[in-house]
Amino acid sequence: MSGGGRSSASATARLSVLVAVLSVPAFTGVWELVARSGIVNAVLFPPPSTVAVAILEWIRSGQFFADLTASLSRVVAGFAIGAAGGIVLGVLTGRFRLVSSLLSPLFHILRPIPPVAFVPIVILWFGLSETGKLFLVVWGVFFTVWLATHIGVQKVDRGLIRAAQMLGTPQPQMLWEIVLLGALPYITVGLRTAVSISFYTLVAAELAGAFAGIVYRIEIAQQNMQTGQVMGGLAALGLLSFVADRAFATLAERAVWWR
Amino acid sequence: MTKSLLRPDQPLRLVDTFPPSAPAHQAIIRVEDLSIVFDAPSGQVIAVDRVSLTVVQGEFVSIVGPSGCGKSTLLNAMAGLERPFEGQVLIAGEAMRVPRPEIGMVFQQPHLFPWKSVRRNIAHGPRALGKPKAEALRIADELIEMIGLTRFASAYPHTLSGGMQQRVAIARALANQPRVLLMDEPFGALDAQTRAVMQDNLLELRERINATIVFVTHDIDEAILLSDRVLIMSAGPGRILRDLQVSLPRPRSSAIVADAAYLALKRDCLDLIRSEGRRAFEQMEVKA
Ligand SMILES: Nc1ncnc2c1ncn2[C@@H]1O[C@H](COP(=O)(O)OP(=O)(O)OP(=O)(O)O)[C@@H](O)[C@H]1O
Ligand SMILES: [Mg+2]
Repeated sequence: MSGGGRSSASATARLSVLVAVLSVPAFTGVWELVARSGIVNAVLFPPPSTVAVAILEWIRSGQFFADLTASLSRVVAGFAIGAAGGIVLGVLTGRFRLVSSLLSPLFHILRPIPPVAFVPIVILWFGLSETGKLFLVVWGVFFTVWLATHIGVQKVDRGLIRAAQMLGTPQPQMLWEIVLLGALPYITVGLRTAVSISFYTLVAAELAGAFAGIVYRIEIAQQNMQTGQVMGGLAALGLLSFVADRAFATLAERAVWWR
Repeated sequence: MTKSLLRPDQPLRLVDTFPPSAPAHQAIIRVEDLSIVFDAPSGQVIAVDRVSLTVVQGEFVSIVGPSGCGKSTLLNAMAGLERPFEGQVLIAGEAMRVPRPEIGMVFQQPHLFPWKSVRRNIAHGPRALGKPKAEALRIADELIEMIGLTRFASAYPHTLSGGMQQRVAIARALANQPRVLLMDEPFGALDAQTRAVMQDNLLELRERINATIVFVTHDIDEAILLSDRVLIMSAGPGRILRDLQVSLPRPRSSAIVADAAYLALKRDCLDLIRSEGRRAFEQMEVKA
């Protein structure tokens, strides 16, 4: 009885692995068929083979790596600055009532405004310069990381802080070791959310006007009706943020090494 | 000297570096008319009500009382973790307003730093006080040997049992060579067997380190076994009801529980606690 149940369960498991492996190729196949069948306009909805050709051409021309570098450096620099600022200020507002009274109300007002809404003012302030793009990414990342850190710091086990106090831990070590590491599980969650936010804001930053970048390439291709290239750009962006998220998840697990 | 249950062969180098004992019978802890009040949603709670007590240099004093009577609050005030509402706590003549590293604390939970190995947890205090890393680690290694966890020196706290964690917490508090060691139900969460072993270890440790110890517990047997004096607290508001001298000979071991003097003392305590518990309970019923 139970043996039969087990073998049917394992058959289901094997089937679902098979389905999972075939899922993407199957959808790509359907897409190819639909795009070629003439049901839809192949110019607006090109088949995957056209997209693949466009991607290969993009890579061969050397533009892909220039675009990738431009986009990645914006995301990485913006993420690093925003995250560092968010962590430092989060520790301070989370730990000191006075600092929190000073900054938290302001941050809570600014935080819910979608970063994309700042594009017009950023163009007025910085024109089409890299600074403006950096500003947008930093802005998006900062508030998420700040809030996660602020909350995490307040949730640090009081007993740990008291134990550290009893041992004579000086204030700087208390902040940047006990409080920071105590809040690290919360901070890494905030950082991971901020990774995807940095890609959202990258899109806004590059659409607002750029001279290189993956999203910039998508926009140019759209203006030239190169839908294959548009979709290739989207695929590259999707893959890039997927890889960044996975890489960060792995890193975050290592960061909280004592679990 | 007593024969050591842990390492009879090994003289503990750490002992040499502990502060030499001050003249006996000198008060080291003075609690003067201490009251501590908390703001609770239901109004103010008097956790400690005009408590006065004195602990003499080198003494082992236990505080016993029903749950919620303010033992932890009293101990935290001695540690400088809780501000007096009225009165004050003086340790070595100085008012306790903030924690001081010469006062060690072992909490009911071990509260070990989860990101540090056993060795680094114990070395934390000496490092925080500015000792060079090598020296801090040397102190840690000696204490690790003393608590018998040499094999676990580089283990992380979450991989240890509750009893092992509490031993590390005790070692961590000792690493700063405290003049006063405050212990808040340190064995409360342990099973009976581990607890008995820990009590014997503490008795033995005490013979070596010459620190003044204030020890909070629920357990009368534990209090009598370990202490020179037992303070019995009343149910809230927390007050000291009775101050009992335990004049049983030392060195003691858990075998003491069969002693007649011990039993008489225990009966005294239990009677007191029972009548106090009944009073508190009736008080609660009147309020309800
Ligand atoms: N931070 C706090 N805020 C409000 N009330 C508190 C606080 N800490 C303690 N109290 C109250 O003070 C009283 C004494 O608490 P305390 O923890 O000192 O008791 P205790 O004797 O240590 O109890 P137990 O044996 O259960 O540990 C209790 O009524 C408790 O509710
Ligand atoms: Mg308590």
